[in-house]
Amino acid sequence: MIDVVEVGKVYGKKDQAFTALADVSFTVPDGASVAIIGKSGSGKSTLMHIMSGLDHPTKGAIVVDSEDISALKRKALDRFRAEKIGFIFQAFFVQANESCYHNVSLPLEIARIGGNKRRTRIQAALKQVELADKIDQKAKNLSGGQKQRLAIARAIVNMPKIIFADEPTGNLDSATGEKIEKLLFDFNRKLGSTLVIVTHDDDLAAKCDMQIHMKDGRITQITKKKVVAS
Amino acid sequence: MRITDTIARAARSLRQAKGRTILTSLAIAVGALTLTITMAAGNGIRAYTDRLVANNFDPSESIVGRDKEIANTGAPDGSPKEYDDSVTSLSFGGSGGSVQIKQVTDADILEIEKLPYVESVRPNYQISPRYVTREGSKKYTLSLEAYNPGQKPELVAGTLPAKDLAGDDVVLPEGYVSLLGFRDAKDALGKTVTVTIQQPYSQEALQEFVMKSLAGAVSEGQPIQNTEDITLTISAVSKKGAASLSSAGLSLYVGSAKAKDMYDYTTKGTSQYGKYSYVSIRVKDGADVTVANRAKDDLQSRGYYVVTSQDIQKTIRQFVDILQILVAVFGVITVIASIFGIVNTMYISVLERTREIGLMKALGMRGRHVGWLFRIEAAWIGLLGGAIGSGLALLIGTLINPWLTKTLNLGSGNSILIFDAWQIIGLITALILVAIAAGWFPARKAARLDPIDALRTE
Repeated sequence: MIDVVEVGKVYGKKDQAFTALADVSFTVPDGASVAIIGKSGSGKSTLMHIMSGLDHPTKGAIVVDSEDISALKRKALDRFRAEKIGFIFQAFFVQANESCYHNVSLPLEIARIGGNKRRTRIQAALKQVELADKIDQKAKNLSGGQKQRLAIARAIVNMPKIIFADEPTGNLDSATGEKIEKLLFDFNRKLGSTLVIVTHDDDLAAKCDMQIHMKDGRITQITKKKVVAS
Repeated sequence: MRITDTIARAARSLRQAKGRTILTSLAIAVGALTLTITMAAGNGIRAYTDRLVANNFDPSESIVGRDKEIANTGAPDGSPKEYDDSVTSLSFGGSGGSVQIKQVTDADILEIEKLPYVESVRPNYQISPRYVTREGSKKYTLSLEAYNPGQKPELVAGTLPAKDLAGDDVVLPEGYVSLLGFRDAKDALGKTVTVTIQQPYSQEALQEFVMKSLAGAVSEGQPIQNTEDITLTISAVSKKGAASLSSAGLSLYVGSAKAKDMYDYTTKGTSQYGKYSYVSIRVKDGADVTVANRAKDDLQSRGYYVVTSQDIQKTIRQFVDILQILVAVFGVITVIASIFGIVNTMYISVLERTREIGLMKALGMRGRHVGWLFRIEAAWIGLLGGAIGSGLALLIGTLINPWLTKTLNLGSGNSILIFDAWQIIGLITALILVAIAAGWFPARKAARLDPIDALRTE
């Protein structure tokens, strides 16, 4: 469960102060899929950064599994991300010159998982995104959709509790985008990991259990699919 | 992140920028090449001079004199000195320079011989014979010394006694063999040669000559001088070796008793008679530095000046060390110049991979580990540069060593470039550390990047 409690984020000081987030509060149940929707500048990316422990809020708390991560020191926060969070970005951010194997290997290396365990997990993750045959290919030789699948493999290899996806289909054509969406929701259901998608795509948002609409740093509306039992 | 994973990642990212990596490494390689060659040359020259000293100076021997100049290894002191009866002028061959030296007398030798730690004393007999010849052969100039058992020359034929040459025995340098009409060195063994020595002009002979000249009885020529022909039996033929100081292969050696007879004969009636510019002493167990130094201190407290074999070795070594340092400075300067190359390369690498750094940090990699990723990258550059430089040095050394040995006439088995694996390993390690230091600030920049900013970078 992720509890976002009265989170605020202010950039700059005094006269130049800019409020990116104000009084944001909501709760995401374990295993749910959540869409954070809003135009650019609405504060949705800032919210994702704070929820994932990349950024500190100016006020408020983020409670993940009864631990307030906004109070964690940098080292503990790094560990939190390494162990519990998976990231998927709009621009993929795969390491172009590394092989698929070494791309997926990165989170395991950071978490100090080695040997056979590492190899089996990488192979399994690549198999799940149907890239098993590209294991030794360099990431730069992959197509856009394949790159995003590789990024998904990297996000799930560590079996994270929460996966954050920032505009996961933004750089893809609609057919490829749909495949990626399907993969994401499949893992959300199969692995039981919470999925947080940041998007301005209403169709994608509609496929989630819960939609948080943002504007000017505030939540304007929270909608939920009926099927979700909270 | 484990160190092995960090090293592997750093190596892979370097492989992606091969051209840049190799060019940066080459700058270090030049420094490594210079330093490796310098170290090898230092080793070689030191080994060579050690052999030189070992072949020419018995470690338990010291030179003992009455004059400060004996112990002065630098240029002679030219300042005037108080006159002393035992002072004689010694001239240096060729250069025309001369130096006044307070000499060691026979009485001094008696005193030194009685000292408990002195095993033996050999005065330095400076004999200037006129010529050496043999029946049916021309006359040749020569230098002649008393045989020193601690300074055995390399031989072509014959054998050398352990202690001293007996009676009329002589060691003949190789160069005289054919001049004196022997078939070869073996042929010369057991045969005789004649060395002619002369007495100084006697007062009477000089007076007689002057009177005769004034009377017009002689228009040219010189006063009569007493000479003596000494017949010597060749017991060995010496070789001009690379590990001998210049005169060693050129002098005839006779036994010390014979040398004393000859010295006394050639100095009779002069101020040199019974005096020697220095004597060589053999100290009991003097191969031990502390024993030799204790003997030195004692002799110096008795008013002698002493140079031990170690002193000579030290002087030669100092000279080699200074030369080596001069060359090494060039290598160090090259390495310093290459540091800027590494710093530049590492900054470019950090800049190019800003988003990658952002990703790694987002995934929970510690800033410290990101920093080390880049430092190890720099270390790889240092390793590569060191390996290329040392490898080239080894190659060059292997190729030119035989040629150098031949050109410098060192004798087979001697090399000027001697490579020491541990020195090379040490050098490469040092270069790796230098490279890590050079990569420190770029790596710190990487470590401090904010993941959100880094990921936003286009």
